[in-house]
Amino acid sequence: MEDDTKLIDAARAGDKQAFGRLVQRYEKTVYSFAFKICRDKGKAEEAMQETFINAYRGLKSFSGKSKFSTWLYRIITNNCLMMHRKKSHEPVVSLEDTDLFGESGELQVPHWGETPHDAVLNNELKDILDKAIQKLPLEYRIVFVMRDVEGLSTEEVGKSLKLSVPAIKSRLHRARLFLRNELNPYFTK
Amino acid sequence: MKLTDHKKYLLEMCEKVDRDLTSPTCKKLREHLENCPDCAAHYDSLKKTIILYRNYDVDYKGSCCKEVLARLELEQPIKINLPSKGPTQKTTRAIQKRRR
Repeated sequence: MEDDTKLIDAARAGDKQAFGRLVQRYEKTVYSFAFKICRDKGKAEEAMQETFINAYRGLKSFSGKSKFSTWLYRIITNNCLMMHRKKSHEPVVSLEDTDLFGESGELQVPHWGETPHDAVLNNELKDILDKAIQKLPLEYRIVFVMRDVEGLSTEEVGKSLKLSVPAIKSRLHRARLFLRNELNPYFTK
Repeated sequence: MKLTDHKKYLLEMCEKVDRDLTSPTCKKLREHLENCPDCAAHYDSLKKTIILYRNYDVDYKGSCCKEVLARLELEQPIKINLPSKGPTQKTTRAIQKRRR
């Protein structure tokens, strides 16, 4: 398999077929990440196409210091943010830490039952996961997906979003807690 | 144990949920989780939240390569076949004027 650098160099020189091979190589990654952010097939496809078009136009600015995929993540993120700002009127959601302490002042944490550990989740559960994450403000959702789902390091996420490490940690912490609390009723039935 | 201590651990576990709790920096948290069933339940639910989203497999069978390349083709400068260079009507009139 040709390595990315050769294809990027060829694409920079105007070889659109070389860029086409990069598209084929990364389209699943880009679509999957866009879907995890947008949670909508149509929007994810739109974001994917825009990402590759923007990537082609901006190839000259790709320094090669980061992985090509990390650079693509940045472009997808910007596209998703732009699409989101254009089309939605997101309700303000409070991310204040939910009180886990009951009226008595005692810590009250219900135990979750078994959750599916295999890769195949049923549609009902997927729907619950979609609804929960859609309530999470996009800035937090992006950090959660990049860090916890895609497995990027905190530093990589920070560089990609141009945010400090403490800012990433703070958003991640709140996102994790928010999602856990949203899913809590489902798993403590 | 005071409620503030539990809160402190709840914050810490949220930060360290993806780490290996056997590392020395997590010793206190690990010991607390061993002795506090509520905090252990909370830690377990945080961990499961992340695993659920990680296991959510996105189905993609399409291909956008053709569409992307087609859109890029449209960006090529449009070539128009111009007639070979010769005097335009305007320049011809100017030359005739000068001759007169």
